[in-house]
Amino acid sequence: MKNIETRHWTFLGLFVCIGLVMLIDVKLDIPVSAQTRKMFDFIDSLPAGSVLMVSFDHEASSLPEIRPIGLVILRHAFAKGHRLIGVALLAEGTVIGYRLMQKTAAEYGREYGQDYVYLGFKPQYIAAILSMGESIPRTFPQDYLGRPYEQFDLLRDVDNYDDVAAVISVTDGSLTTHWMEYGGARYGVRVLSGMTAAMVTTFDPYVASGQMHSLVAGLRGAAEYERLINREVGGERGMLAQTTAHLYVIALVLLGNLIYFRSRRKRKSA
Amino acid sequence: MDRKVALGVCFIFGLVMFAQYFSQHPAARSINQAILEYWQIIFAFTLLVGVVSVFKNNVVQIRRGQDRSYRLITLAGLVAMPFLALIWGIKADMPFMWVFENIQAPMQSTVFALLAFFVASASFRGFRARSVPAAILLLSALIILLSRSAVGTFIFPQMTEVADWIRHYPSMSARRAILIGIGLGSLTTSMRVILGIERTWLGGGK
Repeated sequence: MKNIETRHWTFLGLFVCIGLVMLIDVKLDIPVSAQTRKMFDFIDSLPAGSVLMVSFDHEASSLPEIRPIGLVILRHAFAKGHRLIGVALLAEGTVIGYRLMQKTAAEYGREYGQDYVYLGFKPQYIAAILSMGESIPRTFPQDYLGRPYEQFDLLRDVDNYDDVAAVISVTDGSLTTHWMEYGGARYGVRVLSGMTAAMVTTFDPYVASGQMHSLVAGLRGAAEYERLINREVGGERGMLAQTTAHLYVIALVLLGNLIYFRSRRKRKSA
Repeated sequence: MDRKVALGVCFIFGLVMFAQYFSQHPAARSINQAILEYWQIIFAFTLLVGVVSVFKNNVVQIRRGQDRSYRLITLAGLVAMPFLALIWGIKADMPFMWVFENIQAPMQSTVFALLAFFVASASFRGFRARSVPAAILLLSALIILLSRSAVGTFIFPQMTEVADWIRHYPSMSARRAILIGIGLGSLTTSMRVILGIERTWLGGGK
C-alpha cells in the first residue's frame, strides 16, 4: 500500500466511475449538431441506387470510437438503397471495413456484387487516391476476395470518381486531407468524413471552406446519427462512458487547481 | 555523374507531373496513371527497406543483450506475419487476419485506452491556471470537454454554441495560419527539389 501514489488513485477512480456507469441503463438526450444533420441529409437526399465509396482510413487502435461511426453511416446508406464500394487506404482498416460492410449488408439483405463490393487495401494512399481518379479498375483490378473487377454488376458502370456520388472517409487521422487535396481538388469528388473527435479541429477549416462537405465527429457524432436513423449501434452507450470520463477529468482539473490555489495562498501568507 | 542523373530524373518527372495536371489529353492521363502505378510499386520496396532495417537493428541489440525478450517478440512477429500471409494469404478468415483481429487489434485498442488514464492523471497534476493565458486555455478545454459530453447543454444551454465559437474562430484561425504556412513551405520546397537547388535528398553537398 505504501507504493500507491496519487496517480494510482486517479487511475482507480476513473476505472470505478466508468465501470459503475456502464452497469446502469441510462437514456441520454443528445441534441443533433448541424454537421451531423448535414451529412445525414446528404445521404438521405441521394436517389436510391447512388454509388458511394466508403474508405476505411483508420487503424485498429481507434476501433471503439470508429466502429459506431462506420456502422451508422453504412446502415443509413444501405437503408436508403445506395450501392457501396469499400476501400481501405490504411492496411489495418482493411479487414475491419470488410467485416463492417458484411455485417450491415446482411442486416439489410444486400447482396455482394449487386449492392456492395469491397475492393480492399491499396498502399501509398496519395498514389491510390490519384490513381482511382484516373481509373478505379486499373487501381483495383480485383476485389478484396480476388475476383475480377468486371465480374460485378455494381462496378460495370464505375470507372472513376465521376461515377461516384461521394467518398466517405472513415478516419482516425489526417488521411482525409489527402482525399480533399487529391480526390476533391484534382478530380472534383465530394468528400465527407466520419472521424474521431480528436481530429475535428484539423478538419474545421476544410468544412468552413466547403472542401469537405460534412463530417460526423466521434462517439457524440455517432450517437447523434443513431437518433437520426433510429438504430442503436453503441454510440450512445459509448457516450455514457465518454461523458463520465470527461466529468471525471473536469473534476480532477478543478480539484487540482483548488489545491494549487490554496497552497499558493498559504505560501503567500507565510 | 550519378547525382546529375538523379537530378535530371527528378527534374523531368517533376515537370511532367506538373504539366499533366493541367491536361485532359488521353496521353497525359495514361502517363499519369502509369507513373502512379510505379509510385505504388516503389512504395512497396521502401516498406521492404524498413523491415530489413528493423530486423537488423533488433538483431544487433539482441547480440548486445539489450531488452532481449522484447526484441525477440518483435522479431517473432516480424517473421510470423509474412509467413502466415505467404502461406494462407491475407483475406478475411485466414490465419493472418485471425492474428490481426484477435491479437493485434485488441492490443492496440488496449494501449490506446490507457491514454484515458494518463490524461486523467495529467489533468490532475499538470493542468493549472498559473497565468492568464493558462487560465484561458484551461477554460477553453473545459468548455470543449463539456460540449462533447452529453451533459454540457444541461449545465449551460448555450454550451454547444460557445464551444463552436471557440472551434470556428480562435482555433480555426490558428489552424488556418499553420495550414497556409505548410502549403507555402511545401510549394517552395517542391520547387527547390525539382529545380535541383535543394539536394539534401541526395545525401547533401553540392
